[in-house]
Amino acid sequence: MANKLTFDAIVVGGGPAGTSAAITMAKAGLQTILIERGRFAGAKNFFGGVLYTHALNEVLPDWQSRGPALERPVTDTGYWLLSPDSVLRFTQKSERYKKVPAESYTALRANFDPWFAQQAVDLGVLVITKTTVTGFLRDEKGRVIGVTTDRPDGDVYAPIVIIGEGVNNLLTQQLGLAKSDLPPRYVALSVKEYLGLPEKEVEARFGLSGPDEGVAIDIFGDVTLGLPGTGFIYTDKAGISIGCGLLLEQLVINNLKPYEILARFKNHPIIKPYLEGAERLEYGAHLIPETGYDRMPALYTDGVMIAGDAAGMVDALHREGTNLAMIAGKMAGETAIEAHKQKNFSAEFLKGYRRRLQDSFVLKDLKQYRRMTDFLDSTPHFMETYVNFANDAAYRYFTAHGMAKRDMEKEIIRLLTRRRSFLGVAVDMIKLLRGMRG
Amino acid sequence: MSEKKRTTLNPALAATLPPTNVDDLLVSVKYYVDEEYAHIRIKDDRVCAECAHHPCLDFCPAGVFTQDRTGKILVGYQACLECGSCRIGCPYQNVDWNLPRGGYGVAYKFG
Ligand SMILES: Cc1cc2nc3c(=O)[nH]c(=O)nc-3n(C[C@H](O)[C@H](O)[C@H](O)COP(=O)(O)OP(=O)(O)OC[C@H]3O[C@@H](n4cnc5c(N)ncnc54)[C@H](O)[C@@H]3O)c2cc1C
Ligand code: SF4
Ligand code: SF4
Repeated sequence: MANKLTFDAIVVGGGPAGTSAAITMAKAGLQTILIERGRFAGAKNFFGGVLYTHALNEVLPDWQSRGPALERPVTDTGYWLLSPDSVLRFTQKSERYKKVPAESYTALRANFDPWFAQQAVDLGVLVITKTTVTGFLRDEKGRVIGVTTDRPDGDVYAPIVIIGEGVNNLLTQQLGLAKSDLPPRYVALSVKEYLGLPEKEVEARFGLSGPDEGVAIDIFGDVTLGLPGTGFIYTDKAGISIGCGLLLEQLVINNLKPYEILARFKNHPIIKPYLEGAERLEYGAHLIPETGYDRMPALYTDGVMIAGDAAGMVDALHREGTNLAMIAGKMAGETAIEAHKQKNFSAEFLKGYRRRLQDSFVLKDLKQYRRMTDFLDSTPHFMETYVNFANDAAYRYFTAHGMAKRDMEKEIIRLLTRRRSFLGVAVDMIKLLRGMRG
Repeated sequence: MSEKKRTTLNPALAATLPPTNVDDLLVSVKYYVDEEYAHIRIKDDRVCAECAHHPCLDFCPAGVFTQDRTGKILVGYQACLECGSCRIGCPYQNVDWNLPRGGYGVAYKFG
């Protein structure tokens, strides 16, 4: 090729991590190209899910005036503990959630991601779609100075490359930053259906007063047959997102079909009435990295930084991923801006990226919950035992009419010890606390 | 991953799973199929023949892996949702997994 295609920075991937990095750099005047393999940014992206506005505020402070593609604010949220015939609900609905902007919104990624990428375009980023990055260009010392793509004459040069390629981090592995592929024990496979339902019907079924209210519920127990994993129900504008995810290893060793688990969940007597008559508009599947702090890839090398799912930045306990990805993308972008000022793109200089993350909630939270996946893996009975116990205990509690209350309490204790020894319960609780406290 | 760790699931619970035809789900998915390039292939058929439980037949959320009458594993890559599970879930790393060429493969309408 006669003219080398050269930019100040290359971003790989048009998800929350990549687009946030691109926006940050473009605002500082860097000539930035973002390369996305999908037909549009978002075509390959798929989540529950809920987006958090604190992250949008940081990346794009005027996002509200840019007509963001969001579904409903989350004004009613929490957990359902599902046993085979009952549900125990721990949810909060509050007027406090009803502020503008809300803390979080449900969203559909094939709508949100293209909107987000369009904001990058408006700020001067060159977004190239339908192009897969295949590898790296290096200088004589082996430092990364660009990427190769699957387009003819598709080499692109820049002194800095930010990778936001998502959970299937082939490029991160190619660089040797991730030492191995994701272990199936530390990754969840999620399937979801997006069901269409008229707005009014969504509101009536979930007790919402209008389009400025919405629910986000995580569901434990029978939804995953008691195996380590969760289910979820989120209300969209005119639809419901319903799905479930299990640690991949559990699907492998039990020979389970994820869509059968979802079908069973949808058929649950508690769940079914919410979905009556809703029309399946889309089905999909995606992995969630639950590798945790201790198994994160290295985050930088000469000329490269890694952000988002590619680096395992997910706090599965709080279903946070997009916000970690956005903040990490922004911090990688800021580090790239500094690197340009100092004309220093060495790994030594890019260490600053990790330092920024360490000072933020991104690495602090990941560090705190570093044992969570191990906890679930080593306590596979946890969901079934305690969720079913809690439902039995609640039933006893609410129906113990005409029984001495002390006897009722004894019976409730027996309900638990029938399932698990006192010592077993104590060990589970200690493990859980360690998982939570870090 | 080895196969030593096997099922922990109560068979009575497993029996409550409703048989589901994945094609009924996949009709809702939009694809741009690359007829010239299969991005997923089996590396070595002999390894599949030795594989005791063929977990790929079950865990793949798109039912991409099927078995023909001779027991050979077939790969219908056209239905792939690009989740990446088979790359890491095959106990013998016997799946050659690549990204489709730019623009091809699944294109979510809602996501
Ligand atoms: C079922 C489910 C529910 C979830 N729920 C929530 C939730 O409620 N809240 C939340 O905050 N998070 C949630 N998450 C997690 C969240 O979706 C991810 O953490 C987030 O999308 C990560 O963003 P990312 O930019 O790192 O990666 P992605 O969003 O995966 O983006 C990666 C991008 O890179 C592109 N790409 C990859 N490789 C290449 C290449 N070689 N060349 C060019 N382009 C490439 C891809 O096409 C894609 O556009 C959920 C995830 C799942 C699966
Ligand atoms: S692809 Fe892997 S899991 Fe599937 S049959 Fe072959 S060896 Fe077994
Ligand atoms: S990537 Fe996912 S959908 Fe595609 S074949 Fe593998 S397991 Fe199936």
